[in-house]
Amino acid sequence: MKTAMPYPTPAGEVTLQVVGAKVDGRALPLHMISRTHQVVALHEVERREWDEVRLELRAELPRGELSAGAWRDVVCVAVLTEGATNARTTARLSGTAEDGVRTGSITLTRGSHRSRAELSLYVVATVEGVPGRIIGGTEESWIVDLQAREPVRERELVIHKVDFRNTDEEWLRPYRDAPWLIETTGEMPTVHLNTGFEGIEDLLEGSGNPVEKAVRGMLAAQIATEAWTAMFQAAVDGLDVEDGVPQWPTGWRDRVLRGLVGDVFPDLSPADALRELHARRSEGGRWAELQPRIHYAAARRARLARNLGTTVRTLERSGEDNRR
Amino acid sequence: MTRHIDDLPERIGLLRDAAAARLVARGVLTGQEEPPLVAAIRAAEPIEDDRSRWDVRPIRELLDEAMRRHPREERAQADAWLAPRLHATLRITRAEAADTGVWNFLALVVGPDYLVWRHLPTRTKDGETPAVTADRFRGLHYKQGFARLWWAAELFRDADDYRPAVVACRNQDVLNTVLRLDIIDHRPTARAVTRLLEQGTVTIGREVNALATAINTAASTLMYDVMAPDDGPDADGLRQWIDDCDLAPPASLDTLPDGPDDGPIPSGSVDTLVKQFEKLFAEAPVRGREAAGTTP
Repeated sequence: MKTAMPYPTPAGEVTLQVVGAKVDGRALPLHMISRTHQVVALHEVERREWDEVRLELRAELPRGELSAGAWRDVVCVAVLTEGATNARTTARLSGTAEDGVRTGSITLTRGSHRSRAELSLYVVATVEGVPGRIIGGTEESWIVDLQAREPVRERELVIHKVDFRNTDEEWLRPYRDAPWLIETTGEMPTVHLNTGFEGIEDLLEGSGNPVEKAVRGMLAAQIATEAWTAMFQAAVDGLDVEDGVPQWPTGWRDRVLRGLVGDVFPDLSPADALRELHARRSEGGRWAELQPRIHYAAARRARLARNLGTTVRTLERSGEDNRR
Repeated sequence: MTRHIDDLPERIGLLRDAAAARLVARGVLTGQEEPPLVAAIRAAEPIEDDRSRWDVRPIRELLDEAMRRHPREERAQADAWLAPRLHATLRITRAEAADTGVWNFLALVVGPDYLVWRHLPTRTKDGETPAVTADRFRGLHYKQGFARLWWAAELFRDADDYRPAVVACRNQDVLNTVLRLDIIDHRPTARAVTRLLEQGTVTIGREVNALATAINTAASTLMYDVMAPDDGPDADGLRQWIDDCDLAPPASLDTLPDGPDDGPIPSGSVDTLVKQFEKLFAEAPVRGREAAGTTP
């Protein structure tokens, strides 16, 4: 937390680690907790039915600084939230013999969470006679992912493989000639991959020689570029406006907007960029001008240039090999 | 044009956002046509749980009764009547309520006519045909016509006592503004807001909005969870209440039903926040009210 506050705050860093997790009393294998990505993956919990998960936490506060400063009644609170379920659970961590280290646990109940819970830490104290002041916290939250198989942070797209010609999802049938379709109306954006399109599955999934690999990378980047563009447009279209001010959306729309605005408006702060996006969307002409930049941002995110570069290089090599 | 209770399917299903989007046609929003019932039912996925909490009939009965009890010109008052009864009938967890498929199904299969009755504007500019906004059919939890009522009951109740939720639902500005704020996910904060409404500290819309802005802004430097501790709802109490769904009689139409007994909100914590919020509100700019301390 680096926002300037109208009262003194400690300069040192605050960190939070999830050091263990128990699912209905049974320890979760440690590989389900990734410190690098700050993610706890709960999807592959062996028992499908579970009621609660207890996360063991360890926080480190700026040593020395807190005891010397102007802060009284310093408490350290872990907060577990999920936007979609309006869930909010808090737990106080208590001091240990080790200076600056606080430990404790927080419980996630199944009925209160759906897909991704966020875990953050706040340091709260009485400052200049005012109790309850937030004086610090973690810069990046932990994610408790109830759907992920592996503890990986990015989960932005669902790939849905289906034969468009023979599916119960009637709306897909008219598109049976299309290799894929991107849909952004749902809870998660989805790429419907048409397995009825001959060869596409092998192309995307086989191992193959370097040329095939390169083409696969190209194709994947192509799909990803389209998906990012569609997701970005959908997120902007769905912006909620309060008193003329566009609000950050929730879920994937939030991640997509925050992920791309930096490339769309490199000179603006995220908040200003959001306002600018909304303003341009509301007046048609200037929105059209923005298309190249949106496409550029999406292509960057999809690593199109890198994949194309690799493909060109690989094709050159294979051409040379053939001549030899 | 109404959905007749005997034509409806027995069970609630999940109607995905993408499927729902295709069913919300312009004519549905203006009330001139109904969403196609058979297509909507076919597009829905069944819910793997055969308990009565997913029955359609008790919910449709509530919708019919709400329209019978409230004249059209006072239809906004139906919110406070329906919200606790819908909540007590549709006994689901927050995780289940976060599935928009449930609300899409209620909107497009069970009660499209209710949404038109409740939300169709009476006036439009330039003689346009009045239309309900699409987000009443499929939208965010604080916009969708049925979700907003269920969530208001869930977030403003004090354990099994729905009275604070009724207070909240009587004020459209609470539903429109406060319901969307993350700060009310902390139970004492939500209860302090309804307490201020009960004691008349805030009444009209712009006061509610000023209060909402003031306490939401202050929450960026003050942590209400620390000032007003709450051990949170008791998950077992809620589970018990949901498990009792097959035993409970239908929600009473005349007396307020009981909600899940999942632990009362600590009243001391509510008192602390009421004092804090009174102070914040007194200092907040309210349109039409002279700013504190600037009286000439």
